Amino acid sequence: MPDEQPSVVSEHFYSGALDRIRRFMAVLAPVLIAATWWKFGVRSAIGLAFGCIIAYINFYWLKRVITGFVDRAAGATSSQSADGIVSRFLLRYVLMAVGAYVILTVSPASLNGLLAGLFLPVSAIACEAVYELYAALARGM
Amino acid sequence: MRTLSKLFLVLSVLSFAVPAFAQGGGSSEVNWVAISAGFSMAFASGICALAQGKATAAAAEGLARNPAARPGIQLALILGLALIESLALYTLVIIFAKVK
Repeated sequence: MPDEQPSVVSEHFYSGALDRIRRFMAVLAPVLIAATWWKFGVRSAIGLAFGCIIAYINFYWLKRVITGFVDRAAGATSSQSADGIVSRFLLRYVLMAVGAYVILTVSPASLNGLLAGLFLPVSAIACEAVYELYAALARGM
Repeated sequence: MRTLSKLFLVLSVLSFAVPAFAQGGGSSEVNWVAISAGFSMAFASGICALAQGKATAAAAEGLARNPAARPGIQLALILGLALIESLALYTLVIIFAKVK
């Protein structure tokens, strides 16, 4: 029984990782856009903003798709249909392709910003990893 | 399935054969950067697709064995798929940087 308390605490801590990653993305995006605007100009900043929006929607849909998939794999009642899960999974790629096409046709100069913006989830996951390391060190591993 | 894989193999060989026979003038230069960029993206996409399939299959197997481990498996699967996708994006960025 005494071992259960830390396990419950750490389980609660790790269950909030996805929400923290989304919050990291919401905080990182404006900071990176402002820094890009200041350093590389408005076109790159607009491209980065597009990339961040696409990456955020992409991550949100990925989470919803995985939730539906896990519901089905675990045998739980899922609110999403199988067609909806598959179409949402494929729609993510269509969304990225449309965003890249729009940027390429409207302003090719901001393509670098768009590509950089697509890495927003990776930056947020890296921030989460650093935060978890800090929290583990603070708890005394 | 074997017939289909043989068909794809023949088609891929034929796609090489057409430009090979087209050479003759000697004046046109082959754009090796574009060719290698195409191959790089194809390899990256294929290997990332295999990795995503393997990760999803392992998650489904783990869930079927132990449904109580759902939160941990779900988190690991989401992060794993996001990071695998980013590997294909890294390749795309490198290709854009080199081909431009």
